[in-house]
Amino acid sequence: MARRFLGKTTLYLLAIFGALVLAMPFIYLVSTAFTPNAYVLSIPPVLIPAHPTVQNFIDAWTTNNFGRYFINSAVVAGSSTAITVLFSAMLAFAFARYSFPGRTVLFYGMLLTLMIPTLVLIIPQFVLAKTLHLLDSLQGLVVVYSAGTALNVFLLRGFFEDIPQDLADAAAIDGAGIWTVFWQIMMPLARPALAAVTIFTFLTNWDEFPWALTSISSGDNFTLPIALQLFQQQHQTQYGVEFAASLIAVVPVIVVFILFQRHFVSGLASAAVKG
Amino acid sequence: MRRLLLSFLAIVCLSLAMAPAAHVAASKSVGSSLHGTVNYWNAYGNGNSAEAQALTTKVIPAFEKKYPGIHVKNLSLPYDGFFTKLLTSLAGGTGPDVIRSDIVWVPQLANIRAIVQLDKTSWFKAYAKQVFPGTLSTNFFKGHYYGLPLDTNTRVLIYNKTVFNQAGIASAPTTTAQLVADCAKIKALGGGHYCYAEGGTGAWNVLPWIWSFGGSITDGRYRTAAGHLNDKGTVAAIKFLVDLYKQGYLSPSILGGGLSTTDCMGKNLCGMILDGPWMVPIFKASYPDLQSGLSLVPKGPGSGSHSVVGGEDIVEMSQSRNKPAAEAFIRFVLSPQAQIWMGNVGQMPVLKSLSGSKQLPSYFGIFQKQLKVAEPRTPSPHWSSIDDIISTEVQRALRGDASPQSAMNDAARQVNALLH
Amino acid sequence: MGSQVMKAPGGTAAVAPSYARRSRQLRRLVPIYLFLLPGMALFLTWQLYPLADAFVMSFFHWNLLEPSTFIGLNNYQRALSDPLFWQSLRNVVVYTVITVPGQMVLGLAAALLLDQSLRFRAVFRTLYYLPVITSWVVVSIMFTYLYNSQAGPLNYLLDDVLHIIPNYQIWLGDPNTALPSIATMGIWKGTGWNMVIFLAGLQSIPREVYEAAKVDGAGAIKRFTHITLPLLRPTTTFLVVVLVIGGLNTFIPVWIMTQGGPIHSTETILTYMYKKAFADIDLGYGAAISYLFTALIFLISVAEIRILRRRYEY
Repeated sequence: MARRFLGKTTLYLLAIFGALVLAMPFIYLVSTAFTPNAYVLSIPPVLIPAHPTVQNFIDAWTTNNFGRYFINSAVVAGSSTAITVLFSAMLAFAFARYSFPGRTVLFYGMLLTLMIPTLVLIIPQFVLAKTLHLLDSLQGLVVVYSAGTALNVFLLRGFFEDIPQDLADAAAIDGAGIWTVFWQIMMPLARPALAAVTIFTFLTNWDEFPWALTSISSGDNFTLPIALQLFQQQHQTQYGVEFAASLIAVVPVIVVFILFQRHFVSGLASAAVKG
Repeated sequence: MRRLLLSFLAIVCLSLAMAPAAHVAASKSVGSSLHGTVNYWNAYGNGNSAEAQALTTKVIPAFEKKYPGIHVKNLSLPYDGFFTKLLTSLAGGTGPDVIRSDIVWVPQLANIRAIVQLDKTSWFKAYAKQVFPGTLSTNFFKGHYYGLPLDTNTRVLIYNKTVFNQAGIASAPTTTAQLVADCAKIKALGGGHYCYAEGGTGAWNVLPWIWSFGGSITDGRYRTAAGHLNDKGTVAAIKFLVDLYKQGYLSPSILGGGLSTTDCMGKNLCGMILDGPWMVPIFKASYPDLQSGLSLVPKGPGSGSHSVVGGEDIVEMSQSRNKPAAEAFIRFVLSPQAQIWMGNVGQMPVLKSLSGSKQLPSYFGIFQKQLKVAEPRTPSPHWSSIDDIISTEVQRALRGDASPQSAMNDAARQVNALLH
Repeated sequence: MGSQVMKAPGGTAAVAPSYARRSRQLRRLVPIYLFLLPGMALFLTWQLYPLADAFVMSFFHWNLLEPSTFIGLNNYQRALSDPLFWQSLRNVVVYTVITVPGQMVLGLAAALLLDQSLRFRAVFRTLYYLPVITSWVVVSIMFTYLYNSQAGPLNYLLDDVLHIIPNYQIWLGDPNTALPSIATMGIWKGTGWNMVIFLAGLQSIPREVYEAAKVDGAGAIKRFTHITLPLLRPTTTFLVVVLVIGGLNTFIPVWIMTQGGPIHSTETILTYMYKKAFADIDLGYGAAISYLFTALIFLISVAEIRILRRRYEY
């Protein structure tokens, strides 16, 4: 659409400029990760380190149990994301397309929790988690993270609402129950939205720090964000090592993004409706 | 809308019934012989830090050898977030047995009765006698001692020999007047050089100057700030800093957003900083070519050299379920051998007997000398707010939003309200 | 919601006997509630119960190890008369007013740009999304370095290279520039996220609508204002509500970069609440601050939804 409005070259130039501005700090991040600590923060700033080294990465990975924390995070983030996305879609679908007593209350209740500063809830949640035996375990983390459906429900509800009624009616006449309509008709149609939600949820769960730090009390169960925070010691921070560790930590998130972003390409099966 | 409110009310009523009771955590104690687990929380950093290494490879194994029935479970947490995690664990009753507590936390923890009054134990006196009185006093709150000191530190003047040579300064200044004169020489070097750098405006940063000018935060009994936080000495100290800043001698990093004191010193851009014993190993690791020297904090007019006591105390949590074992561990980390092991990784011992010991790094000498004239910060449960007030008012003075006197008057008024 | 008139298969409207009506309704509702159950149960337990619990505690002097004492509205009165509470609120509103429109406009522009069939589209999208996937902690540390007043690349670029500014600025140490600096970082970080959401929204607009409009002779701008923007309404509503909530809840960047300073010019409600609740161990007060703030956000959000939300048939 905009192609007729601006020439193709202009589009490419704009895209490249935007990419530079958005990626530049990240480039510095990478550059610093390869810089020995004494040369970090040099004046004038250098983009390509004069004495590049991989020592920071080695230091980061061999700091006690970094590999194990990485796996912990992978397991927790992976499973909780799958569960969260499924539950969010189910809730959003029900809110969007069915009327039932309590629908407004519950939806606004979910919205309300988005507005509360989560830090203030940490003590009641901690006491609750202790009662439910969710403390100091990776399974506990998965359960807790899977409760973070509010934002996704809000987003997905909008998408489910916009799916035309004809499809749902056709299915209902064929005698399909709520689960069938959901799984076989709605989910495929909402693929772009689900891809977006998967990307965001994985990112949130991968980076989550306050609850992980609060609930985990055994070094073995630490997740990656805690490990990263440990690089900031009381009296100094070694930027090179910390950035190297952050780079290692960011790889899975990039992978998830690349895998799921291709769903933005296909349009919706609107032809199936209009027919 | 009405349904919304009714449902919410229902949930609230339910919680009203349960909430207050739910926040009283139960604590049981298993009183018996020395066995079981001791959960020890500290902020020594991750496994790469020398302190964590010394703890886990030397101190704890030696302790477990001496007490085969006890297992020490060590948890090294990030410093930022340590206190919050501790508080939530108190709420849930899942806290540790022993912690290495920053000394400013002790009055707060004592105030909410989260830590044990160690002076009520039979063995306390013997150990209290062995440590420096100044370090012991950091455990004192409302008539009782709530812990014992574990490691101590203070701030001394660290100067950059390279910059001094370039500026033609022969030796470190011993008075603030000399410091100002030296600053003029360093300023003449131009090009991003600063005479003195300070990392912030909090009490930890400015107290050495306030005291060295003869000022203070409160009276000797920590009861009132009026007439102390805004007395002649304090205001003179603040004015000293403001003048340094105005003349371009003081690095703007004091207000935030600039080079850290470590980097400024390491890159030979700063002439002097105030810092603690941990800087020696840090400089060796990050800036091995740095030529630096250590000296006492310069004294102000009509006063002596004073600095601020830092460090950590070792305290026992009231919720501990294994107090005998926990106390055995506390006694052990105060033994000369344990103190020497930690001393060799930068944790200055608190034992009087180790003063000047050959087994400790030689640079400890100047810090121990400074410690003799170092003061602790105000032991108040509201210390965090007091610190914030001082920091904000000093910032206002530095920026010229208020004169040093009026800024300190405001500070004294606000701090006073908190002390009463 | 309770009573509905059911049409009998014969076509004549008839009011069925009550018990048959109710059992039909139950049959309709039970599967729905079962469908809702897993997600809802988790949510209610984990979010709503602690929310109510903390709310109740805001009326107490919240003690951790001893029974708490009821003090009624004391915490709330303290908050409302606390100048730092209002300062934090002001700061956080300014931050939101700068960042929300900023990242939405840039995000939409990026989405429109990358919705085209440009070569390397996926590469561009990934690059644009890089700020989003880098954690707030790392981004904040990164920008502290970039904004460094003595050795930072930004000062170097603006002064030594482009000569736009007279000398090195103390971005994070000056009360006038600290908050805008952090806000700029917020826009930078959020643009990619907005782009992703807008991309998903753009995908759900059927191509036929554009084709029909083109046939009718509508130009590119007209197609944008009359088709794209209106049909993006649910997306825009979502973003406004969520981003405003997020902006008002800013914590990590401020905590890492300025700790609320200098002179509380970057203090946000959350950093202030955190200091009061945990550094001062005044949890009831922290809760009161949080709920006052929540009430405000709730009112703002409901207003936004009411104003922006509309359904479209096509």
